[in-house]
Amino acid sequence: MKKKRHLILLFAVIAALGWGMFVLSRSNDKIDENEMVMYSAISSKPDSLDPATESSVTSEIIVKHIYDTLYDYDYLKRPYVVVPVLAESMPDVSADGLTCIIKIKKGLFFSDDGCFKDGKGRELTVNDVIYSWKRIANIKNLSPSWWVFDERIVGLDEFREYTKTCALASDIDYSREVEGLKAIDDYALQVRLKKAWPHMVYNLTKGATTAVAKEAVDYYGKTIVNHPIGTGPYILKQWNKESYIELERNPKYNYGYYPTEGEDGDFEKGLLADAGKKIPFIDRVYFVKIEEEPPSWFLFLKGKLDSSYIPKDNFDQAISDGKKLTPEMKKRGIELKMYRLPDTSWIGFNMDDPIVGNNKPLRQAISHILDKKRFIDLFANGTLDEAFGLIPPIMQSYNEELSKTPSYNVAKAKELMEQAKKIYGGDIPELTLKMPGTSVSERQYGQFFQKEFDKIGLKLNIDYLDAPMYFAELNKGQFQMYFGGVSSSAPIAYNILRMFHSKSIQSGNHFYYRNEEFDRTFDKASIMVDCPERTELYRKCEKILLDDCVAVFIFHSVSYTLSHSWVENDKPSALQYGLARFIKIDSAKRRSYQAQY
Amino acid sequence: MFSYIIRRLLYTVPIVFGVMLITFLLFNIVRGDITDQIAGKEASAETRAEIKKEYGLDKPLFFNTEHKVFSKQFWDSQFFNHLLAAATFDFGYSYNDREAIWDKIKRGAGPSLALTAPMLVGEVSISIILALVVAYFRGRWIDNLTVLICIVGMSLPFLSFILFGQYFLAFKWGLFPVYFWPDLSVWQYTLLPTFIGIAAGLGSNLRFYRAVMLDELGNDYVRTAFAKGLSPAKVLFKHVLKNAMIPIITQVVLAIPFLFLGSLLLERFFGIPGLGYLMIDAIGARDFKVINAMVYISAILFVVFNLITDICYAIVDPRISFK
Repeated sequence: MKKKRHLILLFAVIAALGWGMFVLSRSNDKIDENEMVMYSAISSKPDSLDPATESSVTSEIIVKHIYDTLYDYDYLKRPYVVVPVLAESMPDVSADGLTCIIKIKKGLFFSDDGCFKDGKGRELTVNDVIYSWKRIANIKNLSPSWWVFDERIVGLDEFREYTKTCALASDIDYSREVEGLKAIDDYALQVRLKKAWPHMVYNLTKGATTAVAKEAVDYYGKTIVNHPIGTGPYILKQWNKESYIELERNPKYNYGYYPTEGEDGDFEKGLLADAGKKIPFIDRVYFVKIEEEPPSWFLFLKGKLDSSYIPKDNFDQAISDGKKLTPEMKKRGIELKMYRLPDTSWIGFNMDDPIVGNNKPLRQAISHILDKKRFIDLFANGTLDEAFGLIPPIMQSYNEELSKTPSYNVAKAKELMEQAKKIYGGDIPELTLKMPGTSVSERQYGQFFQKEFDKIGLKLNIDYLDAPMYFAELNKGQFQMYFGGVSSSAPIAYNILRMFHSKSIQSGNHFYYRNEEFDRTFDKASIMVDCPERTELYRKCEKILLDDCVAVFIFHSVSYTLSHSWVENDKPSALQYGLARFIKIDSAKRRSYQAQY
Repeated sequence: MFSYIIRRLLYTVPIVFGVMLITFLLFNIVRGDITDQIAGKEASAETRAEIKKEYGLDKPLFFNTEHKVFSKQFWDSQFFNHLLAAATFDFGYSYNDREAIWDKIKRGAGPSLALTAPMLVGEVSISIILALVVAYFRGRWIDNLTVLICIVGMSLPFLSFILFGQYFLAFKWGLFPVYFWPDLSVWQYTLLPTFIGIAAGLGSNLRFYRAVMLDELGNDYVRTAFAKGLSPAKVLFKHVLKNAMIPIITQVVLAIPFLFLGSLLLERFFGIPGLGYLMIDAIGARDFKVINAMVYISAILFVVFNLITDICYAIVDPRISFK
């Protein structure tokens, strides 16, 4: 009897432990049905909500709902156009392109927070912008966005050097003058540049370049990563790092309006019905972290999530005939939206490698044996754009001419292999390709590449690496070929061509590519304003890369997203992140769908 | 008994040290350093150097041989700093998101226990009751059928239980929530994963307890009890169960440390923000500091609960004594 009591006692302890945790774990308040609420999925948690230290796409999405930037992309216009947000107007640039004045709107306030006097958010001034840019320059902050300002603003690089001499972050004097950053008054910022920076406004759309209040950084210290205090349309209500983020309408946000112009067809689609109205419309936004595809898809079909991407395994359930919704999706009132992304994926060659770097026919042969179309059909249900060059179709400098000469040509590859063998002095030994991951997808890609290389008798060894090992080997130049890519934050070729400049070796140029002509052409284009000549120069850069066969460019991404009928004003963007402010939700329609399904 | 407990607690020191050493070797020597991951692919060499400095990755792995052996600087290395941090339970901040690791653990322990504790209670209770019944009917159709179902259950991957449960019970039939949702309380979104966890674990548990009960049923005291005219229920639940305590206690008490670690797959598929999720996130991101903290806590819990098991043996069985 005594032993049985012990067993019962043991079970009671475990049950009490569990029950205690039930009670201790926060029970969520019911969501107010009168509020307009939006639910979105995020596939990973943000790495930081401090603009200076954030680097992931998820972080950028959240940051851009809480902080506004000086400039951002127009919500409706395509091709993408930059418009002022915190700024009053576009920058006033001097004739030599070396000085510009940025004026900000008056009467913009930080959201209320305990970091401010009496808990009331104060007005934003250009001094906040200067302070925030200095924070990015401060090496102690390890900002991944330093590249935006690197060698751009007079005196800012020197400020960075100064921060290196400080033993502690707290020793850094932010009042130290930076020659090129001057507050003319509270609302006008003068920026002096080392050389012309024509695409500056594109860089100033990045969340990292927004204005952060010094009071907030001083008050929260290291935990500023969890306490974003901005002037944007939303404030952070809750951040449960492992499960969800809740944003609430910022009552102090008073300067946002729905755009009054769009691209052709927007009016007919009802996207201008709210033209000129104050934003945001939505009171509360939830970003729920969902890493696995099945629950994400089920939640979307149940009407819990307002929009969704299409998981590979559910593609046929959603899409038929390539680009049309299936009858089942139509019956549910679901809409399909497709848009191109500014990215390119490739197999890159290490130009310092004695085998592939010194053997152009070998690289060319490899570029002719990859059946990109088959790759896209196999791994993405045919939903990607085949890459004929580096610059993706979303960019103005995209060269359509390149698509007229498809690269897949096994016979030519075999001819080139003969030349390659002569250069090498015999049969080419086994080559190695570094893959950025160890998942099933990467292994399938690897097997595909092995089969393709085998067409011309090339043996390919695949090295599947986790992220740190992959980057470490790329940075050290310990590889022959790697599978990788780039995604640009702006619709300009500058951002991706930059990676091939000899100055970018070890900070993006993992091809270890050095070509004086490329550098010269790129440098010339990089200080030019948008004009046909610049476009031609960017295309010339791309041509040089293709002639040297630095990489085999494989595909550019196209995003397929689905949204429910109750999501209004929904226009996806490849470059803009703080989109919830423009969207409206018909809650009654959502409830009716949820009751039906 | 007191000296036994002290002696056993002292054993934990080399065990935990060994675990820490192996973890450190696996993540720092075999898999390289984490600087490039923190820095991102476009970071300059100077940023990478600053990161190394900030996180102490510029220090030697084990010993700073530039200094004398008995000097403080000699021990100023990555491994000994980790060891010191663990010993004082000051795990510091995550590499990945710079959040205090203790905050992460405290936040994750609740949801993990809310899932795993009812799972353990359910699994063990159902398994023991069914095991007693099928052991009593040994060789009959009910026993054979149960064994068959157990083998089938054990053969199925855990993931198939999850996918089946999530698709049919939650998505198709709407009996449970599909996933965590902000307006649900913990018990609502852990209910289905708890049932799935119980169902998936039942096969192996039931087979284990059936074997234990069969062992007991073959003993003379059982035959005597039946001969005395006691009802099967009384024999099984009073006498057999009492004498089968040792393996039951071993199984149950040793499972308790794992309750804190949560259930990796269930947490991931149902969005339960527990410690299993935290651990896999940390492994994926190679966040050594979080992994180090979790491994350290697990090692301590495991050793302590091993000790508790031994103490329980003596309590339930007077023939066992401490030496």
